[in-house]
Amino acid sequence: FADHSVWDSWFVFRLCSLFKKNYFIFCRKELILSGTLSPLKDLHLGKLALTKFPKSPETWIHRRWVLQQLIQENSLPAVVNKGNLGVAPAERIHRLVQEEMDVCSEAAGRYPSNYNAWSHRIWVLQNVGKLTTKVLLDELSSTKYWVSMHVSDHSGFHYRQFLLKSLIGRTVNDNNTLVQNQMGNEQNSSLQTEEECEGAEAVCVEEQSVDISHYLEEELDFCTDLIDTYPGHETLWCHRRCVFYLQHHLINKLPLLSVAASSVDSSDETLYNSHPNPTTSHMAQVMDVDGLNESSSKQGYTQETKRLKRAPMQDSFGPEMEYRFIDKVLSTCRDVDQARFATAYRKWLVTFLGQ
Amino acid sequence: MPREDNASLVLLQGTPQKDVVIKPDAPSTLLSEKHADYIASYGTKKDDYILILYESLHVVDVNKIVEYIQSLQKEDGSFAGDKWGEIDTRFSFCAAATLALLGKLDAIDVEKAVEFVLSCMNFDGGFGCRPGSESHAGQIYCCTGFLAITDQLHQINVDLLGWWLCERQLPSGGLNGRPEKLPDVCYSWWVLASLKMIGRLHWIDREKLRCFILACQDEETGGFADRPGDMVDPFHTLFGIAGLSLLGEEQIKAVNPVFCMPEDVLRRINVQPELVS
Repeated sequence: FADHSVWDSWFVFRLCSLFKKNYFIFCRKELILSGTLSPLKDLHLGKLALTKFPKSPETWIHRRWVLQQLIQENSLPAVVNKGNLGVAPAERIHRLVQEEMDVCSEAAGRYPSNYNAWSHRIWVLQNVGKLTTKVLLDELSSTKYWVSMHVSDHSGFHYRQFLLKSLIGRTVNDNNTLVQNQMGNEQNSSLQTEEECEGAEAVCVEEQSVDISHYLEEELDFCTDLIDTYPGHETLWCHRRCVFYLQHHLINKLPLLSVAASSVDSSDETLYNSHPNPTTSHMAQVMDVDGLNESSSKQGYTQETKRLKRAPMQDSFGPEMEYRFIDKVLSTCRDVDQARFATAYRKWLVTFLGQ
Repeated sequence: MPREDNASLVLLQGTPQKDVVIKPDAPSTLLSEKHADYIASYGTKKDDYILILYESLHVVDVNKIVEYIQSLQKEDGSFAGDKWGEIDTRFSFCAAATLALLGKLDAIDVEKAVEFVLSCMNFDGGFGCRPGSESHAGQIYCCTGFLAITDQLHQINVDLLGWWLCERQLPSGGLNGRPEKLPDVCYSWWVLASLKMIGRLHWIDREKLRCFILACQDEETGGFADRPGDMVDPFHTLFGIAGLSLLGEEQIKAVNPVFCMPEDVLRRINVQPELVS
């Protein structure tokens, strides 16, 4: 295996298919740890394997391990570790991240709603790169066309939700800890070198107050266009729920984590209640989620419309506009599923955002 | 494995929702004998499986197991799957379930473990594999099961999560794992068990789901496939049967929704986490 001719692409490709995947991956780890196989070469190997097995969990998991090895290498003093590419660590990291974005993108195109590819993409931004405003906005921009061509791909749209949510997080943090940001990105777990701190400062100059509302509005409009163009896609309606929730959250400036401990209750508690409550429910009957029951007869599946006390209106623009949008869709659409999703969205808004 | 290429997905207006169609001649009753034969014959093909699991806790080295699991917990409360360090909420569930069965849950930092799992909760009430990851029915099952074992079900917004879960049901009656995915019998378990744990099982159309699961049987070979007409395997057979049990199938023993094990076994070792009623 020390002979590099062995790593001829075709041969490697066949190797991927022939060996029992887990054992072969184990061998690669041993080779990397012993210094026989370079991590970058292994990433190339994995990239080839993913062209044939774009979902392969073992391949993605191994890839993260290899990247961890590279990150650790990067933590060595720059003098000792001029790196495989002979460039500064920050630049090397940037190239690694870009490469991973490409690999994920390719794999996402090879298998619909590829959870493993997209969750890897998120992992890379969180653990290899930095969740800087620039990176987040670049990713938003570079994935826009792709998702518009894959309107059923829930993972693709979820990625944009992750980017937007991270942008909100950055905006909040930037406003609170601007000084700390100038010292380096403390949110990220990757190690800081002097070069990176300098880079971070330079980036910080660009990262003034990002108008996150603008990006959320843009995303909502984008969603509207897709919903109108491609009726009957649940993914698009799910995306809308999230974007609206992020806008609502932003407007109310409430901590995101308060979502975790709330429950829908008889009081005016909305989704944002931060006090954990024992969960109770008024729903003794089957939840009429999608409104289909109103027109169809399902045996043993009774209807019950949930009645809730509404929370005080904190923002009159958002939900009103959404209701108008929903009404417009319902009055003009001819697709049964579209009508169902629109109705379900309205119920979801009423039930969980207390609007 | 879901066969996505069978579903037509064309980007035109009025795209039909991704789903299967159950043929009129699909099986509609539980073929217990056939399944018993299928599992029995599968057991003779020793090359096709790694291990048969028996009710024999006394043969394992409990201390070693506990030590190993302890060694996998990280500072943020998460669990790796093995020494190579992959973090995933599924491993949190495996750790908690294993230790609960051994009566050694206190061997780990439960509070930190809970904190990590909760950090994986999303706006839609669901859970992903890591913080920030997409909600997925399989991950939801693991996180809900974990929270049941650690007595933290009250941390879940059960109406919100219940809503997401029952939206997994498609016109065919089958359940999928995420929006716009095909139904799969194993999700009849992941989704159903989760609903059971949070006390929202009645939010699903049980009759339609039952029809779907039964349609996944193979009348000739026995066993269940991921969806009607596909090849059967033990994995989907287990979850088809377990799902039917949760739906109240009389011919099947009661299955615990947290551990996917018979209730009587768990009763014997006194490991039956409290669920939301």
